[in-house]
Amino acid sequence: MIGEITTLVHTLQQTLPPARLITDLDALRGYPIDGLLPGLVTIPNTVEEAAQIIAAAHEQHLTVMARGGGSQTNLGGLAERIDVLLQTTRLDSLLEHEGPDLTCQVEAGITLATLQEHLRTQGQRLSLDPPGASETTIGGILATNASGPKRLRYGTARDLVIGMRVVQADGEIARSGGRVVKNVAGYDLNKLYIGSLGTLGIIVEANFKLHPLPQSERTLLLSYARVEDAMQTVIKLMGSLLTPSALELIDTGAANDMADLFGVSLPTSGYTLAVNVEGSRATIARQIEETRSLARQEHALLGEEMEGPEQDHFWDTVREHTQGTLTCKTSVLLTQVVPYLTMLQEICNRYQLESASIAHAGNGVIYTELRPGDATSRLLAAITELRRYLDVLGGVLVIERCPVEMKRLLSIWGEPKGDFRMMQSLKQQFDPQGTFVRGRFLGGL
Amino acid sequence: MDIAEIPPIVTASLVSYTRLTEARKAEIVAQLSAILGARYVLHSPYDLMLYEYDASIERGKPDIVVLPASAEEIASIVKLARRYQIPIVPRGAGTGLSGGAVPIHGGIVIVFARMNRILDVDYANLRATIQPGLVNLHLSLALNPHGFYYVPDPSSQRSCTIGGNVGENAGGPHTLIYGVTTNHVLGLEIVTAEGEIVQVGGNGLDTPGYDLTGLLIGSEGTLCIATKIIVRIVRMPEAVKTMVAVFDDMDDASNTVSEIIASGVIPAAIEMMDQMILQAVEEATHAGYPRDAAAVLLMEAEGLQETVAEQIEQIVSICEKHHARTVRIAATEAERQLLWAGRKNAFGAVGRISPEFYVQDGVVPRTKLPYVLRRISEICESYHLRVGNVFHAGDGNLHPLILFDSQVPGEIERVRQAGHEILHVCAEVGGSITGEHGVGLEKQEEMALIFSEVDLRIMQQVRTAWNPQQTFNPGKLFPRPGLCADIKQL
Repeated sequence: MIGEITTLVHTLQQTLPPARLITDLDALRGYPIDGLLPGLVTIPNTVEEAAQIIAAAHEQHLTVMARGGGSQTNLGGLAERIDVLLQTTRLDSLLEHEGPDLTCQVEAGITLATLQEHLRTQGQRLSLDPPGASETTIGGILATNASGPKRLRYGTARDLVIGMRVVQADGEIARSGGRVVKNVAGYDLNKLYIGSLGTLGIIVEANFKLHPLPQSERTLLLSYARVEDAMQTVIKLMGSLLTPSALELIDTGAANDMADLFGVSLPTSGYTLAVNVEGSRATIARQIEETRSLARQEHALLGEEMEGPEQDHFWDTVREHTQGTLTCKTSVLLTQVVPYLTMLQEICNRYQLESASIAHAGNGVIYTELRPGDATSRLLAAITELRRYLDVLGGVLVIERCPVEMKRLLSIWGEPKGDFRMMQSLKQQFDPQGTFVRGRFLGGL
Repeated sequence: MDIAEIPPIVTASLVSYTRLTEARKAEIVAQLSAILGARYVLHSPYDLMLYEYDASIERGKPDIVVLPASAEEIASIVKLARRYQIPIVPRGAGTGLSGGAVPIHGGIVIVFARMNRILDVDYANLRATIQPGLVNLHLSLALNPHGFYYVPDPSSQRSCTIGGNVGENAGGPHTLIYGVTTNHVLGLEIVTAEGEIVQVGGNGLDTPGYDLTGLLIGSEGTLCIATKIIVRIVRMPEAVKTMVAVFDDMDDASNTVSEIIASGVIPAAIEMMDQMILQAVEEATHAGYPRDAAAVLLMEAEGLQETVAEQIEQIVSICEKHHARTVRIAATEAERQLLWAGRKNAFGAVGRISPEFYVQDGVVPRTKLPYVLRRISEICESYHLRVGNVFHAGDGNLHPLILFDSQVPGEIERVRQAGHEILHVCAEVGGSITGEHGVGLEKQEEMALIFSEVDLRIMQQVRTAWNPQQTFNPGKLFPRPGLCADIKQL
């Protein structure tokens, strides 16, 4: 490998003087991926340079991985080998913002926060709210399919991306989708690339459909002694005429974390349901009023309301909670949330583990922090039991963040299912040589 | 299985199709009859005629038509077809406008008339499991008494099937806020080109791995056959208000649309109809559309009472700012339904003013609407053709209806030319060649207007991965080899 990397460096230095290359070992230590150091870090200035780097790596039979802000690099299994790390942060242009059309085109290295700032000047936003907006890049968000509480109303990346440019394994750049909000020409490759963790191509540009900023926003906090009551409220809200933008269920453990770490004070026993509504003042007043009355029927206790900076801080904290040391992300149906959380409690008790969970309750997506993070054998046993339970429910548990050693002992994605063969066939077509780093994705793809 | 164990697949660059001999056909009919029962295997010329066409202007003769009742039967059919290298063309209601269900290379057409049930509705979890042959509107009608509905509502929803909707990623007038079929389908059960039954997607959201559901939706029957569809269902909105704004100038109407969106109001639907369409529609439906207007906007706001009231107020004020002659809000449900009936039957109504018409389907950025509408007018005039426009103005999805009479020599050819030039304009302004009708047979060559050779080659990798022998719906979607050169010259 060393020989090929040297050849690659030589090639790149000839053709791309402006691109920064990091080969020095000390500097490379700044770019670990699960403790593994890349052989070379490249920082292209343009999309074309990025493509040339990948083409050159492909020719030398080297492996390539992309890195944006680095906030999600812990996601995924252990990489087999990372020869070339392609740092995308210089590809940070906002190419177009067509305000009247509610669309925009960006390079993948732009951070979400920077993009939102630009869009705000025309009263618009990209309705994606994953954690870490100031570090996480658009490319990273799309590659990991990151999302936040407002997915309840606006969906996730697959519902907002309208086009992309993606560098293929051999360095060619291919476009998928387009620049308009309605488009069925050809296969929807946008859907394929989103969440593919860079195993089929490296996203360098993306086009989005945008939304106008809501006139106002308010958050109602409801307290419950029993999780059944909290989830019954959620199920009723979801089947009602009301249109909340987010519904987060916060358990005692998470409430304690939020108090300790972020100074957000919530009742530290029982469950909190945070209901976020957006719209005009009249609409919000109506939604809050009806939510309160619905919640009261389900024995909700308090009902504080937040807006402005206090509200922003609250939601930032909620989002950050999913970035713990050992975070499991479970997906189940709404009606399975209570049985799952009950089972989680029971299993944690048995294995003497603590858990702190925040759920996108209306979507059945639960983020659970398990502690202590170094109780490896107990954690493995607990997670294995949880997964067995989820198999019966038809749900899944993905370990989004964990200590590296654990990745050697347990598949972070869980076992591939019946459609895995189709995924393998795709990988075989898109990247037969294995130019994109192997080992991180489902089934080691 | 390790990925290294999967054999590398080489693209079949030009798969050739030969029609079945009578002997071979008889053999296959016998085998299919053994699987399905003889009454569900159609093979007489009389029976096959119905399946030669859809709602496009293309035609193709199937060799055999089958009506299976289950995924297992379909899997057997596919395995059989594979052995004999026969194409398979899945067919919903045959209402497609791009030729997706037309068997141009013959083969076996699979009809889903016997797989048309709602299998399960889970109101608490907001989902339903259905069979592909279920008529779109029937699903919503079944859910309505419980206060729910299925959102994607193509204008053909009284006939089209959800399986067909999945194949084309169908839209309709309400896609502006709510999206299209792919935003409302959670998972699929499919039969692959190898004849395997596979569950794709799942119970919960964000299933690990690639989003195969998203990739398969809109693949126009070329990658799989859907045998079960899990859809998202939603609560019907509290209030719906429909209004009509009448304009004496097309540009005023277009600018109104742009300003409404830019102001932050996203109505549930904004449809535009020009004078020619208005006249036809009013003749047919008597919905109260003015025959002498240059353009009419049919708009809908839905949601909570408060939201609707605010939106309507904003919309009305913008219409008036752009010189709307009148603005009328439907006072009763009956009035509302009539206005929509007028719009949804527009294509049919055009039958009154022309023996035939050709519907185009293109998308442009909203802000380019006035320019593109002018160009469409110019193009059709240059070919001595009349054109009417009815379309989803909110998302820039145009449907020019080019009127013609095939009895006039050379007219069809001019229509095709005009249609092609219109797509050229759409591509030029950064739009797309199809917003909802699909590529099918109609726009294979025009794919090259918006996708480069590299783009198309990468896209075709998916078909090579999953349908290398092109068993499913061959000859569709991608430019046929050797014909690409023509496009660039135009």
